[in-house]
Amino acid sequence: MSDPLVVFENVVKRFGEFVAVEKMNLDIQQGEFLALMGPSGCGKTTTLRMLAGLEQPSEGEIRLAGQVMNDVKPHERDTPLVWQSLALFPFLNARENVEFGLKMRGLDAASRKAKALNWLDRLGLADFAERPVDQLSGGQRQRVALARALVTEPQILLLDEPLSALDAHLVIRMQGELTKLQRELGITFVYVTHSQSEAFAMADRVVIMGDGVIAQTGAAREIYRAPANRFVAEFVGRNNILAGKVTSQVKTAATIETPAGKFKVNIPKARSFSRGDRLSFAISADLVHLSDKNPRGDNVVPCTLISEEFVGSVITLFLESADGTEFKAQIQERELADIDLKSGSTLYLSWPAASAHVLED
Amino acid sequence: MTIDPKRRFDPYALTWRMPIIVWQVLFFIGPLVFMIAMTFFLVKNYRMHEAFEMKNWIKMLGRGFFWDSYFLTLGLATLSTLCATIIAFPAAYALSFKVSANIRRWAIFFLIIPFFTSYLVRTFSWYVILAESGPINAMLAYIGLGPYTMLNTKFGTMVGYMTLTLPLVVILQTVSLASIDRSLIEAAHNLGCGRVRTVFTVIVPLAKTGLIIAAVFCFILSFGDFVAPYYLGGSKPPTLPIMIIDTTKSGQQWPRAAVVAVMMMVTLFTVAFAAIMVAYRKKT
Repeated sequence: MSDPLVVFENVVKRFGEFVAVEKMNLDIQQGEFLALMGPSGCGKTTTLRMLAGLEQPSEGEIRLAGQVMNDVKPHERDTPLVWQSLALFPFLNARENVEFGLKMRGLDAASRKAKALNWLDRLGLADFAERPVDQLSGGQRQRVALARALVTEPQILLLDEPLSALDAHLVIRMQGELTKLQRELGITFVYVTHSQSEAFAMADRVVIMGDGVIAQTGAAREIYRAPANRFVAEFVGRNNILAGKVTSQVKTAATIETPAGKFKVNIPKARSFSRGDRLSFAISADLVHLSDKNPRGDNVVPCTLISEEFVGSVITLFLESADGTEFKAQIQERELADIDLKSGSTLYLSWPAASAHVLED
Repeated sequence: MTIDPKRRFDPYALTWRMPIIVWQVLFFIGPLVFMIAMTFFLVKNYRMHEAFEMKNWIKMLGRGFFWDSYFLTLGLATLSTLCATIIAFPAAYALSFKVSANIRRWAIFFLIIPFFTSYLVRTFSWYVILAESGPINAMLAYIGLGPYTMLNTKFGTMVGYMTLTLPLVVILQTVSLASIDRSLIEAAHNLGCGRVRTVFTVIVPLAKTGLIIAAVFCFILSFGDFVAPYYLGGSKPPTLPIMIIDTTKSGQQWPRAAVVAVMMMVTLFTVAFAAIMVAYRKKT
């Protein structure tokens, strides 16, 4: 693999007493679509702003294409950012907004205009070039912001929750367009978001951050199926998280005693536990089986239904076991046809031991 | 038949609107109409007589000294507006972008304090400071310069105008700069625009309306000010407000003073209207 485009080496960012980013080490590859994801205040936007030079790291080093960027002024870098608010200049029309970066680089008026129009055309805005930006729709403004950032042909594009102000159906469409654009251009996209669906839909690699620390890095599938720790398991997807004491272990198969009952899990090879150790594990809500008859066997929890969330083909059921532990189950709507949910009778959740994923702490 | 709800008689709304309408008619439109009427009156034996003659207009506008004074006043007010805008901007910029919100609040409070004391008193303190034997000339003498005559010059007038207008211009500019969305400034940097260039390509256009409103206030206050050109500028040649005083004092020529006043009002209306049009103009 070639040298990474961006390297964060032991980067720390403090705002007074508050540590926004703590000892971050991260490589971003050439041509990669990387999503930085986490709850608000996790340091993802600060990380992005440090990359754009809008914040200086308190410690550590950020390198872009091999060059140390710590003291490079924001206007001396080519790291265009697409703002959450889009930050389009209201006193310029769409074309002039796109031309802005080229003008700052001293390009002559004719080539500026040609390049700007070319980009507006590429993003389907050819007819809106001379419109003031406040007369464009949300999706059109979004594209103007993208064109403005991409017109200088940068190596890297930074995006700070750019889709959060759009309608749900537009978000889906823009996701597709962004992915396509990134493939075509072959440049690095660093995309900050708190939305799992956006990050998972677009990114080659997802970085989950919490409290200024990277909690897990990996492909979307990997993070979804094998969350590294409790934080990731809680933040990503709908996981049932259980914790308890190891009561017995035969090779990789261990029995865990939790308040909700005794469950069998497979211990990963790299880990070893002895009797009495605490261990937590997650079972994704879509790997849980639901039945109104006791299926007998391992990993069965009798529950009562609390509420349900119907969004179409998939239903999420919220259940509670006798001891008060909450469970979630995502079931295909058609599978529920012969299960009686209304009467309030006991339902049985079950899963194979292989579906339980052991978490690091 | 349908009735336009906007045109239906609404006694409740009217009751609340009445006071301001009555006030404006009694104390603004009324005197203004009377002043315009007065420009056609005649003065005989130091007494005003109702008439409808163009004599005052012909007498005032037909003379060179009126127009000399008119353009002098226009020039001084324009210069004052330019000076105040340019001097105030760095201060407003610093208050908007370089200091904390808390310091900004205190600064605006201190900028209001000058209005607590009479403008006349503040002008007289300049009279002492700028005098040939005053502290400024004393300091300049210490480094081997001067003495310079600063009183009774256009420089003196300008100092007076700044005393009157600068605090207000700084406040108005600060309010307009502080409301700028910071991400737009960052976006300019992000797109390769240096700090100084950002001021002119992004910050000034964004604050345009507020900057023009501040300038308009400065122009109006300077154009109509009597104190600075009279006490610090030496009143010669006279500006229009001084001319109004002189005309009323010499021979009770109230109608001719009214001609000057009407000309001033017309000028201010024109300038203010044109400026507001520019300030709120939008690209189409």
